[in-house]
Amino acid sequence: MKLVSAVRQKFFFWVDKRSPQQQEVTLRQRNIYILPTRYGWLMLMILILILVASINYQNNMGFMAGFVLLAIGMLSVFYTYRNIRGLRIRALKPQSAYVGQKCAFPVVFFNSSSSYRSSIGIGVSKKKVHYFDVEPQSNTLFHVNIKAGRRGLLKPERFVCTSIFPFGIFQAWSWFKPTHAALIYPKPIECPQVLAPQSQGQEQGAFAQKGSEDFYSLRDYQSGDPIKQVMWKAFARERGLLTKEFEEQVGEQHLLTWESVSQYDKELAISYLTDAVIKAEQAGTLYGLELPHTLIGKGQGAEHLHQCLSALALME
Amino acid sequence: MNTQLLPLTRQGIIPLLIMVQAIVLLPLWFHLPFWISASTITLLLIRFVIYKKELKLPSWLILLLALCALGGVFIYFRTISGREAGVGLISLMYTFKLLEAKNYRDGALILFISFFILVTAFLYDESILMGVYLLISIMAILMGLIALNSINGVAGIRHLGKISGVALLQALPIMLILFFLFPRLSGPLWAMPSQREKGMGIDNEMIPGSMAGLYGFDEIAFRVDFDGNTPPASQMYWRGVVLSEFNGIAWLIGAESPIRSDAYPVGEPAYSYRVQLEPHNRRWVFGLEDLIEPPKEQVYLFNNYTWRRAQRVTQRLLYQAQSYQLDYSSTELSQWQRQLNTQLPDSGNDQTKDWAISEYEKVGDSEEFVSFVLSYIRQQNFHYTLLPELLEQNVIDGFWLGSREGYCEHYASAFVFIMRAAGIPARVVTGYQGGEYNPYGDYYIIRQKDAHAWTEVWLEGEGWRRVDPTAAIHPSRVDDSLLNQTSSRDDWFADFDSLTTTDSEVARNVWQQISLRWDALQSFWNESLMGYDQDMQFSWLSDLGVKKNQWRYLGYALLATIMLAGAGFGLWILSQAKSRDKVERAYRRFQQVLAKQGVEVKLNEGPKDLLTRIRKEHPEQYAKAVPVIKRYISIRYQKEKSSAASQQSFIKAAKAYH
Repeated sequence: MKLVSAVRQKFFFWVDKRSPQQQEVTLRQRNIYILPTRYGWLMLMILILILVASINYQNNMGFMAGFVLLAIGMLSVFYTYRNIRGLRIRALKPQSAYVGQKCAFPVVFFNSSSSYRSSIGIGVSKKKVHYFDVEPQSNTLFHVNIKAGRRGLLKPERFVCTSIFPFGIFQAWSWFKPTHAALIYPKPIECPQVLAPQSQGQEQGAFAQKGSEDFYSLRDYQSGDPIKQVMWKAFARERGLLTKEFEEQVGEQHLLTWESVSQYDKELAISYLTDAVIKAEQAGTLYGLELPHTLIGKGQGAEHLHQCLSALALME
Repeated sequence: MNTQLLPLTRQGIIPLLIMVQAIVLLPLWFHLPFWISASTITLLLIRFVIYKKELKLPSWLILLLALCALGGVFIYFRTISGREAGVGLISLMYTFKLLEAKNYRDGALILFISFFILVTAFLYDESILMGVYLLISIMAILMGLIALNSINGVAGIRHLGKISGVALLQALPIMLILFFLFPRLSGPLWAMPSQREKGMGIDNEMIPGSMAGLYGFDEIAFRVDFDGNTPPASQMYWRGVVLSEFNGIAWLIGAESPIRSDAYPVGEPAYSYRVQLEPHNRRWVFGLEDLIEPPKEQVYLFNNYTWRRAQRVTQRLLYQAQSYQLDYSSTELSQWQRQLNTQLPDSGNDQTKDWAISEYEKVGDSEEFVSFVLSYIRQQNFHYTLLPELLEQNVIDGFWLGSREGYCEHYASAFVFIMRAAGIPARVVTGYQGGEYNPYGDYYIIRQKDAHAWTEVWLEGEGWRRVDPTAAIHPSRVDDSLLNQTSSRDDWFADFDSLTTTDSEVARNVWQQISLRWDALQSFWNESLMGYDQDMQFSWLSDLGVKKNQWRYLGYALLATIMLAGAGFGLWILSQAKSRDKVERAYRRFQQVLAKQGVEVKLNEGPKDLLTRIRKEHPEQYAKAVPVIKRYISIRYQKEKSSAASQQSFIKAAKAYH
């Protein structure tokens, strides 16, 4: 087994050398590989059987059938090769996903030729491909879904683009390395204890007396702020988008800290914080995150959420 | 390959598989036992109903039925391994497989096994029609494979037909080269027990009046192509079997043994000819009299100047032969030969025996006695008919002195009997006489209805002389209506009989022409393609100067062909791809020029968007870029294929852009 994996490693080292990391790959002779499928071998066996029977019965019709089959097999190498040859493939930046979800890696296929490419397969390995057709002179977007197993950066070692069309006798394929990694957020798990308010609740009590409905201050609009809180009057006077901050909201700012969950197992703790961050975002409160080597100030909105989740995802 | 995503439930796959199976099994249905054919047809129908009604058959039921079928084959054939049983079994299992087929694997298995089943049908039939059918079937199987490997299944029969048709057309020349170069063996790898009992023609015994030889009237016995000289059809006596033993009812092959072909001095061959002998499941090999040199390996010359093959002729046999004029003048008939050829049963047909003895005494000379009997046949009221009165005991007496009607067997039989009764060595020869000339292929067709029996008489100082007593009948007393009437080929055109006579005459003539042309095609097919063997392979090789190590040269030629074909095809594909990319290359060059001018083209930006952007952001380039981009759009985004001229004008415009 060791030997096999060593050979395998050597082989892929060689393959990688031949297909350097590029944004865009054009499938050509240099990077297309072709071998018979298991059904190709089956056909070869049947072909030998037919030829032996034809020799023995001196049946020339049998020879003809056998040689048509052989010729089809030979031609099939070209047909299958031609089916993926000249395709340009480009892997685009994938969206982030949570652990346990499927992460979609977008891949664009450019077919500048005038031939229809049937049943093109794309996936992370030859056994895990999905098929689709590529129309002549067109771009086709396809998502390769990969199950996110661990938090952090997910970068498939290589994608494979393959074809067995038209007869399933030969499989042509090409490997290419995606340039972009997907950021996988930790899996959110609800924490048995309430994480958010305790740490700063005492200090903030004083500010909160002004009442929840009271206008407190104005600040620049950040994406993700509730529409209700936009000061439309100011916008009408062409003073830009401003967000009204209310007393209650200021009082409900949370700093989510690592200490609060440090008694748990590390991964579990990260999951708890993730859940807390998401909940805080959904509640529309201001929140910050303090991790051993990172401090993210208080904020709100999709950008902020991403920043916090990234910090959690990439935590050492 | 992830075949789970290519299930059999895709549109049209199952009906296509049913169709492929029906096409592949069709030729076998005529040869398999009735119950097997009926079962496979039923299974295909059941499969179709299951598909239409979306039913599900429990797998135990399928297994049970399959076991029943296995048992049935065993009970019927008493074996499951022979050729017939094997073909029957594999056909049944093949249809069962479709009944339980669920995924890609099953579909692929069925389609690839189809190729093998297709070949088993050729064990029964190698005709030209079968050759055409082979192409149709392969195309159907290929269509099945394409559909199986397409994500949408059967998207359109025409689409599938186009891909598979192109593949087949490209495969045919490769197939022909492989066919002619692939080294052939002179015999089978291992002997196969012949199970074909079909076969007709000359029997190994002759019972006058038994009508044994009268079936399969219009079937072709063999075809003959003469090189150079051609004898008149009336002189074509195709020798098959010599019958020298008479037991009172039947004429049998007497003692005979192989001899060396140089036993008699012979001169130059009189005629040289090629024969395509149809399988008749006997060992006779026919040739134009007189036969000497065996025409093929495993064919031997016997001491009564007939050819025998070591094995039965179960496949079409092709051979080149010569006919010679034998000279017996210096030869004496050996004692045992004389005894064999004058032997008669002790009793029976006594009246004819007495008649012969008394007539011979009057004539006194062997040669004159032969002419006397022949003229007796001509002058007396002897009739030729294929439907003579049935005679039971003392057949020869009944014929010669009674009914006086019969066909060649009666005449040959009675003539030899009379000669032997008079003490002259004589024997019956059976074979074929004459033949139909086919002007479209310049050869003769000899049919079963040309089967004939004649005689040989030993005359001192001259040797064996051929005497055909049937030919002595007066033409006015020959009733050959049956010969012209019974024609199996008319079965197809039975409607002709209901036409008026003149119409039917014309139709018959046209039909005759068509059938002769068709036969000429078949003859070519049989000879050049189906008859292609080691002899022919070595013969064209020696024409090219390769006289030894033929196999090695064939191997080189095969390798060279495969490599050349591969290289040629590869280059062709590459050149195609290159020319196709010309437009794309010109467009890219144009984009590079644009980039230098500060218009960076974004990936995924279509030409239309690019044009809009240039108009907005770089209006100074717009006027120049418009013709290039507009042309590109019209080439690339129009439904119909762009013409070469429009491509050229685009490339020109793109190159001119600066």
